[in-house]
Amino acid sequence: MATERTDVVIVGVGGAGGILAAELSKAGMRVIGLERGPRLKTQDFEPHDELRYFQRQDLRPNWKRQPVTWRTNANGRAAPLQTLNYGAQAGGGTVHYGALSWRMHEDDFRARSATVERYGARAIPEDSSLIDWPLSYADLEPYYDRAEYELGVSGKAGNLKGARIAGGNVFEAPRNRDYPLPPLIPDRSGLIFNEAAQKLGYHPFSSPRAILSQAYKGRAGCTYCGFCQAFGCHVGAKSSILVTKLPEADATGNFKLLTGAMCYRVNSDNSGRATGVSYYGPDGSDNAIEAELVILAPFTYDNTRLLLLSKTAKFPDGLANSSGHVGKHFMTHLRARVQIAFDDEYVNVYMGPSAQKHSIDDFNSDNFDHGGMGFIRGAQISVGPVALEGGPIGAVTMNPPPGTPRWGAAYRDFFAKYYARHAAIAAQIEDLPYPHQTIDLDPNVRDQWGLPAPRLTYDSRRPNELARTEFMARKMEEMGHATRANLVWRAPETGGAPGGHHMGGTRMGADPKNSVVNRYSQSWDVPNLFLLGSSTFPTMGSGFNPTLTLQALAYLSADAIVNRYRKNPGPLV
Amino acid sequence: MSKEEESRRAFLKGAAAGAGIVATAGLAPDALAQSRKADASAMAHMEAGGAGHGAFFNSEESATIAAFAERLMPGAPGKPGATEAGVLNYIDLALAGAYSDQQEFYRHGLTQLDAYCRKAHNAAFARLPVAQQDAVITALESGKAEGFAWPSAQAFFNTLRTHTMEGMFADPVYGGNKDFAGWRLVGFPGAQPQFSEAEMQSKQAFTRAPMMGLQAQAKALRGRT
Repeated sequence: MATERTDVVIVGVGGAGGILAAELSKAGMRVIGLERGPRLKTQDFEPHDELRYFQRQDLRPNWKRQPVTWRTNANGRAAPLQTLNYGAQAGGGTVHYGALSWRMHEDDFRARSATVERYGARAIPEDSSLIDWPLSYADLEPYYDRAEYELGVSGKAGNLKGARIAGGNVFEAPRNRDYPLPPLIPDRSGLIFNEAAQKLGYHPFSSPRAILSQAYKGRAGCTYCGFCQAFGCHVGAKSSILVTKLPEADATGNFKLLTGAMCYRVNSDNSGRATGVSYYGPDGSDNAIEAELVILAPFTYDNTRLLLLSKTAKFPDGLANSSGHVGKHFMTHLRARVQIAFDDEYVNVYMGPSAQKHSIDDFNSDNFDHGGMGFIRGAQISVGPVALEGGPIGAVTMNPPPGTPRWGAAYRDFFAKYYARHAAIAAQIEDLPYPHQTIDLDPNVRDQWGLPAPRLTYDSRRPNELARTEFMARKMEEMGHATRANLVWRAPETGGAPGGHHMGGTRMGADPKNSVVNRYSQSWDVPNLFLLGSSTFPTMGSGFNPTLTLQALAYLSADAIVNRYRKNPGPLV
Repeated sequence: MSKEEESRRAFLKGAAAGAGIVATAGLAPDALAQSRKADASAMAHMEAGGAGHGAFFNSEESATIAAFAERLMPGAPGKPGATEAGVLNYIDLALAGAYSDQQEFYRHGLTQLDAYCRKAHNAAFARLPVAQQDAVITALESGKAEGFAWPSAQAFFNTLRTHTMEGMFADPVYGGNKDFAGWRLVGFPGAQPQFSEAEMQSKQAFTRAPMMGLQAQAKALRGRT
């Protein structure tokens, strides 16, 4: 057993933790980062191997050794999810992600107020815990800007200080300056999507991505190889934490990364102050770090799990859980998908940055009138490969059109003909928060360290969500037909399963009685404990991927810690 | 013609045929097939059984898996199927390695499949006519095949389908997708270091041969020794 002392310990050095590691160590604080997986290098991603990275999920947690379980309701027994879409190494999910980097809309930060103003309070489902964020878009704009420029995001402005710009996302919130890099080049599927969307009067654009469209800050531009989502980038063009913030942290001399280190408890004293963390080392050893400041930035579930595992006499329901809201309001992006295929032209959708290539924002958030529709909020709609990466092992997960079997000569002929001639139009659909959608500790399943697995109790099949999903599926069918594809068909329903981008569990808010952290991601109960990541999102905000928002929040926290907390440790609000 | 150009042309032939444009005989990509044969000794450890098994399955199990996979992805002239792609070899190696935790799943699944076939059709799966093999697979897929406890008939079917597709389309270093049979079938160019704007926006088939990735690296390494 080893015990070390440091100023700051950060658990999980991924999309958010990596930013804190760099910013705090640059400010002269001594930082130790704990990472349960390895630290990989750009060179490690040379194999363009779909089996290893997509199918066997080599950059993601192994679902048998690090299970996350799911059940639809509180009476059932949960079973492990067999696909886990988050990181398992330094850099976290930014290593394998599709790098979609969105700013949320202004009203996304005040979804409750905006809904009530436009549609009345009755438009919000009675059992939903829809709530406003404790900060505004304007508060976060400088940090979105900083994330885009420091990390490297490619895109085209659609709203520059209020001036709408065609070709960018005209629905986006006003930005103070354009993206640092021009948009990525559209592929054939992007052009097809673009044409169909314009025909229908929508406003398509190249999705903003943290992938370099040109050389930037000493890093090479994207080669459009296509092995992108699910893969590490073999040239370092994806702006993952591995190639952006970790080198900055290293250069300070104040940062130390411990790999193979699994944090299992946040330690605290009788006064309720966090004193550090305990972790298992790669050799199974039991170790501790004493720190002035404890920052938890693992994936969503583990913020809740660590708090529940760190109970004390003072916090019998879990550390920092005097509100009783730890583990509640769990949300995931819902999915609807329509596939299109052409008899007489190729699409070759396996080329280029693979995920959500070209988008429309016309049906996201409250960008369209929901009057009389029976649901609120919306979805981001985009085009790309069915599995977000375009290799054939991903494509065989696609359901064939009605009437075509999943195997045999007819399937072979379908797949041989259409593999290179198909694309998917997909909706990434906002999910409202509900208090009874939860993360807790599974009493029956344990992980490789003997810790109880995070357990999700979740069912996406609620009236508002079903109506929203059906609306999007119909819109996408219309778009599919507008492409003049020969085949247009839907993907099957998901059976209530959690979709992508898991959020919630330690939501931020303006009131310590109904939230876990304040706007700085600082625990209300334990001021020297910060909880970073999308676990703090009180609502999903939109159908947009959460990474850039959780990174902007990380920059905001870092600023508050360096400029205010360090001088006067205590509550920031 | 340079080696690269030869393999590019050969792949072009295969890709176009796989996509159903050219349906002629002689679809094997000769250059790739030849270089593959020359490398046979280097790859021998991956195909120890000669007939494409030996790492995990016994002969009877091999016959069942080979027949089952071939019905899932049947070969036809110009359309490489599971047998031609070496799917059995892929699954056999996977069960001896990365999927060793699924050995019992397969043992139980195969035992149940055998019992079901003997009861319903009076013969082992591999000995049934293809129409009856297809009827058995349909019964598994729909969950109507009786006598399955663990794995369930549907779970066994789904796993065999998934692993068959992996053997068709994974990089050849894993022991399947022999001579890029699966990639030729569907017109996937494997790993490419980059695509140009014109290539990405083309409506035409893309026909360059795989250039990067494990198989190319393996070849380069062998070239140095």
